[in-house]
Amino acid sequence: MNNPQHIIPLNVIQLVSAYALILLSLGLARLQHIGHEKQLIWSSIRMLVQLIAVGYLLHLVFAINSPLPVVLMLLAMAGFSLQVAGSRIKKRMPNFYRVVGSSIIIGCGGVTFYFCLVVIGYSPWFDPRYLIPLAGMIFGNAMNGASLAAERLSSEMHERREEIECALSLGATSRQSAAEAIRNAYSAAMRPTINTMAATGIVALPGMMTGQILSGTEPIIAVRYQIAILCAITGAVAVTSFLIVQQGYRRFFTEAHQLKSE
Amino acid sequence: MNMHQQQKSGTNPYVEFIDVGVTKLSQAGTSMVILDRISFTARQGEITGIIGASGSGKSTLIRLCNRLDDPSAGTIELNGQNITTIDPLLLRRKIAMVLQKPFMFHGTLLENLQRPFLFRKMAPPSAESPEIVRVLGLVQLPAEMLDRDARSLSGGEQQRVNLARALVNHPEVLLLDEPTSALDRPSTARLASTLNTICQSEHLAIIVVTHDLYLAEHIVNHLIYLEKGRIEEQGTCTQMLAMPQTTAFSNFLAQPEREETSSS
Repeated sequence: MNNPQHIIPLNVIQLVSAYALILLSLGLARLQHIGHEKQLIWSSIRMLVQLIAVGYLLHLVFAINSPLPVVLMLLAMAGFSLQVAGSRIKKRMPNFYRVVGSSIIIGCGGVTFYFCLVVIGYSPWFDPRYLIPLAGMIFGNAMNGASLAAERLSSEMHERREEIECALSLGATSRQSAAEAIRNAYSAAMRPTINTMAATGIVALPGMMTGQILSGTEPIIAVRYQIAILCAITGAVAVTSFLIVQQGYRRFFTEAHQLKSE
Repeated sequence: MNMHQQQKSGTNPYVEFIDVGVTKLSQAGTSMVILDRISFTARQGEITGIIGASGSGKSTLIRLCNRLDDPSAGTIELNGQNITTIDPLLLRRKIAMVLQKPFMFHGTLLENLQRPFLFRKMAPPSAESPEIVRVLGLVQLPAEMLDRDARSLSGGEQQRVNLARALVNHPEVLLLDEPTSALDRPSTARLASTLNTICQSEHLAIIVVTHDLYLAEHIVNHLIYLEKGRIEEQGTCTQMLAMPQTTAFSNFLAQPEREETSSS
């Protein structure tokens, strides 16, 4: 799908000139006394180091072209997704890492392999040129959904304690008593993905499509890939969030349908 | 006398607390005794009152009856059966609870009364059904209110809906946690009258947690005074109020201000 002849390889001078825009941001921040200059510098350095490291790592994995390093990279992605999701949440649900970790592995892993093997159908199954970038997009987006689902579920369970205990007192099961909290957490997790689908192509051209066009792919083919990946992201966010809320709400209750104390 | 009343006839001990204790871990990791060797009996057709200052363990105690919480020690029996051997969902239909703050689910008054049926996966009764007519009559709410948004009702009306909703399951025991905390004196008087009527007509064992001496005086048969998680005194309400036997209860009665804003 690529035609490398069309791409302009960026050299160091061009990259440095791109960094001039970071300096501009720094100057504007200082001018307005916002006080996040250090953060801006640190983040831009982190981005530089992380992306160069990933670039060399991908170069190595592409060169080896065997299943083991690809699978290890996928597991590392799942681990980082979990770590980032956890760091974003102030009040974690009980057994957070077990609930969110298993949901990300099942939700993202399942959707990634379905998408790669059934929808695109390339061979061999571990081809890093396809599997790694596609999994990266799926895991990255599902991580956002996972954070939202887990955080919203915790806050809903906290805020709705009276309602939940009232329902339990009237003979409701733990699932019935937490139904509203489960619904709201799932809806909150899905909303950004649904909004992104609605705005794609009008508000902004998505990154994957832009990258493919830049590297010489026909826009129509790039659009098809983008549609397919957005469907995959939606599926991954849906499955991951569903698993989080369905596993998660149980952690707030005992076997005897009692709401655990906070 | 209907079928439910026949099943519950007699003055057997209905709810029995036998050496019940609750211990919790504090945030500092130390063990705190919330309730200590609590033993008492609540009988059918009687209203048992639990009275005590804030933090005495009253609300913790009442939550143990329908297993919203479990004790750390001792047993609680419902009609001779240990409540931990009863399915908690079935237990909560037999032992209904009216929480301190009357929570109204989104929807009309009728929809709130239908909730317990939906939880049991049963068809919800209509406004004209005998079930709805019965509970509205018990709590003296007019049928014209059924279509009103439950959250727009006054505090006193919401407390009545709360009570009616607890009664639709035909409970054998009714628990009330500070039912008058948000009510003025006329509403409290109406509720006291309603509870007396319900206790007799439905032949219920009622356990009420309260700090309201007015309510206790007007409805409670058997009174239990709780202090720092222990029963300091218990007996007939009229006798206890007229002639307290312990210094602790005398001091409690002598306090000029017993108003509580938080549950214990």
